[in-house]
Amino acid sequence: MASYGYIIAALFLPVFPLSMAFNMLYARTRSVALRVLLLLAWPQAGVAVLSVSSGDIPVWVILFAIWTALLYGVRALALREVSIWTGFLATSAWAVLWIPAYGGAESVQLQLYALGFSAPLVLLALLVTELERRFGAAYTGLYGGLAHALPRLSGVLVFVVLAITATPLFPGFATMLDVIVTALPAMPVVAAVLAGTWLLWSWAGVRLLHGLIIGPAGEAAPQDLSPSATWAYVAALGALFAAGIYAMGGLA
Amino acid sequence: MSLPLGQQLRIRGMIYVAGEPVPFYWPMRSFIHHNPLHGLENLPFPEAVERGERLFHARGYLPRRLYQRYLDKGEVARGALAASVAGFVATRPGTEGVDLQRWLITLLTEMKQPVALPTTLADAADVAAALNNAAPSQERPIAPEVLAAKLREGLLGECPVYEAVDALYGTEIGASLDELVVKSCLDFFDEGQSVFAMPERERGFFPAWREVARRNVRFFLRGLHINRILSADDTAEGVIAHVMESLEVPERHWIGYFTRELSRLHGWTGFIRWRAGAKNYYWANRYPADLVDYMAVRLTLALALLRERGRRKIAYTASGLAEAIETRTVETYLRHELHSGRVLPELAHRVDDALSRRPERVLGQVFSEYVAKKRNHEALAQAERLRQLAALAGEPDAPARLAQQDLDRLMETLRDFERQEGTMWLRAMESHAMDRLLGGVSWNPPPHREKRPFVQAMFCIDTRSERIRRHLESIGDYQTYGLAGFFGVPVSFIELGKGSETHLCPVLLTPKNVVLEMTAASATNDAAVTALEKAMHALKESVLSPFVTVEAIGLLFGFDMVGKTVSPQSYNRWRKRMHPRKPPTRLLLDKLSREQADSIVRAVQRAVIVKAVQQELGFVPERITDDLIRALREAALGNADAAPELMDALGVDEAGVEAFVSRLRVAYRINPSFAQEQMARLGRIGFTVDEQALFVSQALRAIGLTEGFSRFILLVGHGSTSENNPYESALDCGACGGNHGVVSARVLAQMANNPVVRRRLRETGIDIADDAWFLPALHNTTTDELKLFDLDTLPSSHMVYLDRLRNGLDGASRRCAQERMPTLQVFSETAEDPAAAYRSAERNAMDWSQVRPEWGLSGNAYFIIGQRELTRQISLDGRAFLHSYDYRLDRKQRLLENILAGPLVVGQWINMEHYFSTVDNERFGSGSKVYHNVAGRFAVMTGNLSDLRTGLPSQTVLENGLPYHRPLRLITLIEAPFDHARRAVEFSPLKKLEIILDGEHQEFATDILDRAGVKGYTIINNLSGKGRHGFHEGHLMFNQDDVLIMIIAAVPESLVKPILEGLAPFYNEHSGVVFISDIQVTRLVKFSG
Repeated sequence: MASYGYIIAALFLPVFPLSMAFNMLYARTRSVALRVLLLLAWPQAGVAVLSVSSGDIPVWVILFAIWTALLYGVRALALREVSIWTGFLATSAWAVLWIPAYGGAESVQLQLYALGFSAPLVLLALLVTELERRFGAAYTGLYGGLAHALPRLSGVLVFVVLAITATPLFPGFATMLDVIVTALPAMPVVAAVLAGTWLLWSWAGVRLLHGLIIGPAGEAAPQDLSPSATWAYVAALGALFAAGIYAMGGLA
Repeated sequence: MSLPLGQQLRIRGMIYVAGEPVPFYWPMRSFIHHNPLHGLENLPFPEAVERGERLFHARGYLPRRLYQRYLDKGEVARGALAASVAGFVATRPGTEGVDLQRWLITLLTEMKQPVALPTTLADAADVAAALNNAAPSQERPIAPEVLAAKLREGLLGECPVYEAVDALYGTEIGASLDELVVKSCLDFFDEGQSVFAMPERERGFFPAWREVARRNVRFFLRGLHINRILSADDTAEGVIAHVMESLEVPERHWIGYFTRELSRLHGWTGFIRWRAGAKNYYWANRYPADLVDYMAVRLTLALALLRERGRRKIAYTASGLAEAIETRTVETYLRHELHSGRVLPELAHRVDDALSRRPERVLGQVFSEYVAKKRNHEALAQAERLRQLAALAGEPDAPARLAQQDLDRLMETLRDFERQEGTMWLRAMESHAMDRLLGGVSWNPPPHREKRPFVQAMFCIDTRSERIRRHLESIGDYQTYGLAGFFGVPVSFIELGKGSETHLCPVLLTPKNVVLEMTAASATNDAAVTALEKAMHALKESVLSPFVTVEAIGLLFGFDMVGKTVSPQSYNRWRKRMHPRKPPTRLLLDKLSREQADSIVRAVQRAVIVKAVQQELGFVPERITDDLIRALREAALGNADAAPELMDALGVDEAGVEAFVSRLRVAYRINPSFAQEQMARLGRIGFTVDEQALFVSQALRAIGLTEGFSRFILLVGHGSTSENNPYESALDCGACGGNHGVVSARVLAQMANNPVVRRRLRETGIDIADDAWFLPALHNTTTDELKLFDLDTLPSSHMVYLDRLRNGLDGASRRCAQERMPTLQVFSETAEDPAAAYRSAERNAMDWSQVRPEWGLSGNAYFIIGQRELTRQISLDGRAFLHSYDYRLDRKQRLLENILAGPLVVGQWINMEHYFSTVDNERFGSGSKVYHNVAGRFAVMTGNLSDLRTGLPSQTVLENGLPYHRPLRLITLIEAPFDHARRAVEFSPLKKLEIILDGEHQEFATDILDRAGVKGYTIINNLSGKGRHGFHEGHLMFNQDDVLIMIIAAVPESLVKPILEGLAPFYNEHSGVVFISDIQVTRLVKFSG
């Protein structure tokens, strides 16, 4: 019975190959509200299932989780469609949560970790709709030079991607640091793979930004983010930043 | 294995032709302004721009919105614009229901974006349907054959294979190739920046690179099997042929293919092109390289990369690509759409997904859907633009009412119009600029002067001189003139303490005379500071030392940084004080007599022998006598045998003396041939009195200053000072080869002050008053300082006036700074206070963080040839080259022709460099300076690896991303009667015939020419040369008929055929040859009837 619980949890804290379900669902969801809901609720459901599952987490699940985090990190490198990229990064990040769960982390802590990973992804999902509205799709390498054409949107996009890739001092950074530091004494190989995965996120983030922000702007000049929307994003990023600092304090 | 010689030479020829459109790139130490489309100057401007746009993937005109800004600011002549549009409309058939003139004017002045979109699938019928809110008809599907033809056109032929592969598979081989080529070039062409040099560079670029590439482990690890390609042939040409054959590119496309290859990194190509022909360039002589080497390196790497990617089962040859287009058209089309960035964004992922899965059925479905959507999208977008235009033109319903044929014609018209609109805008802007100039020009003759002016000052024609001249004239009794800043004297200058020659003249000239800078001051001992600086540099440039020394002495660099940043003026003054001031110097200008030269050579030989005796034999100075040295010298030169007394003096036996003398000849070069070489070098030093008189006379006559000389005649060269600026020489005097102009000023002043020269000038009608003194000066264009030079030679009679002169110069400098500094927007308080403005300018010049120390020649628009009175009353805002000229002194138009063929051409290069750097700063200019890094000590790159950045940086021509420089072609105004100017301007294309034949047939050939009406020819006798019959020796002493002669004639094109027909029977029976070439001549009247 316990194994069934973990298998259900592996659907929501996606572990390959069950992770395909989330990614398929996310890719087919066109509504931004549903996407936001998926990004916020999906891992929380996983944590909830995990908390009610009895018994120790089998090691093979952990191995699969690490493999999933690494696999989706690698696959994100080659992706050009930003929505799918969002799903892959979410999968890679949520799979990491199995490690603190294996280490006996509290359910509340796992929920906060999941939220820390999900929140910037939600912002990216919202930005994807902004890009789709202006260009027909959020796709890298087609219309570069956003830094010139849409400076406000580009600025927000850069910080959101930084938050997603767990850059200091966003919450993801505190989570990754905590997980790796905790795992290092008992599972050094796992810690090393996680650190590698983290690097892959950064690499994928740079490639994503490179395909959107850099280069000469096209002739078409779509409207930039409105100042009010920009401030809203800035406030959200500020909140994430504050949460990250708070989480870093928790490390001590 | 080697390619046959004929084929090698053919490839060489092909690459020469292929490289011609790429302009030269000179090292930045002497930045030369040049026309980026110099190789296309034979074409009319619009055609050259169109070709340049294709070749360099660049833009040749500003975007429309920027022209509209100029229109709003009143800088475009609306009338001229309307006239251009009317001229265009007159060539087009009318469209019923459309007021074409109004539509086109509206398009120019109100539409922000292009109206005629580049449609690939939608046609007029689809657009007509879209205008009536209907979808494109599905009855006329897009045939794959049509798409295949378009793909063939774009991806085959002259398109480099890897570009086609990239466009189909997103492989980015082109980027990888450029990166590898740049690294190879940096390794080879480095001029001392790198700690490690590429080995065996003396052998040339390709041979040296080949040796390194064979052993390059990184290539091996990347899977690049370079060896396999390099082993195909020993020569660069052979490797090129092998690669082109491996890529299966048909030979008829090779030249175009090579041009595409060369234009990808056109900065490197331009540099290598220039370097290959720079006979006096030290680095080129030492490490030779040419475009054939470069092409061999490039193609080798390209093939290796293609083969490496080819292992992933993608087509990587021209025929493979052709086959993919023919047999898998749908897939190839979708690939091209996806990877060339043309894909519809909303379908990008579906196309990507389908291509990665690849089943035919899925591809077919996606293709059908994609083509339908794209066609609809194009039709809708085109219809929307037409509607916008029609609405703005006040005929909103007109497009929907148009019949399909009319719509088709209208779209064609709009497409053509938008292709030509750049030229129309440009002409209208130029028209406005001409009106503005002509509105301010004064046609009144200069007022008669009762007395001579206090100072006459000759400035460079540089646009920055216009401001300072204007202020100098406003501050007192100053009369100013303009001529090219080398003052007409091409000089090769050897600066005090330096061993190399610097050419102080336009790059088109090669100076024959050398000028040496000398001093009487004793050598100073600044060894401590110099040693410290050298040690610092060594530490910085070494590979390992920065790791270990950063903690130890890093703080020292911190002090330097803080000093330069916080207080640049004080810090720089303090640093300068650490170095001894340059002592007063004189220029060795007068020609040496043979005796003087011989004496110098002897003195040098003696000094070398003394050193040799000390070093080789360990003699102390007191053992070295004059007799010993004389005997050794005579023996080494072969004038005398090694005397027996030398054995005693040197303390060695006969063999020892012979060995030492031999060493003197070989190692120390005390031998007759080297002495001869030294004599020849010394022969280049200085000018004869005749030459000096000629140069002074030329300079004075060119500006119309032949009488009424003032007490002071200033010769003002110009230069700039800035910190941390690789483009510093771009701000210096172009006429002095990108150097400061003060040396040229000193040279002419010293000549003109020479009493012997003045006597000679008097004989030619230029009577310079005895109290007139030529005084060199430097205009620092960054600070506006006017600094006098060689004051130690100023006659005491002039000292009393020096204060007044200095005050005047200082006042002009401050006023000039006050006018100029607000345009730089560095400091706010400068507009009110001239002194504050001047201080700001000084600080600006020393600020190492300043990316724009001055605007340089930005803004140039006019070239005015005439007397100062013409424009003295108006401010030209530093936008005009002012060349003094008095047509009354130039009855034969010789001076005017020289101005048109020399300074005006240089002005045009400068103008074109600014024009193209402004309209497309990324491609024709060098982008932002902020990202520049010095490459190999001769150029800059963006980041750590890029093409050499040619052209001007954005900080020179743009302000806040918008043009500061108004991109206009140079407008030339000549003050002269119309016929006078026309005769000088009329360059006319003619054909040059060079007829070579035996001397005994001279009369036959000249008779043919005479009968054809040729007005004149030149005959050269005693030709030597090699032909089919072997070498033919000239200089036969006793037989004038048995020599080869050449008859040179310039003839109208229409005469060429008849003359050749007349000569043909002769050449069927006799040896000889006729060369025909295109030429231009001045004074056409001399060559035609």
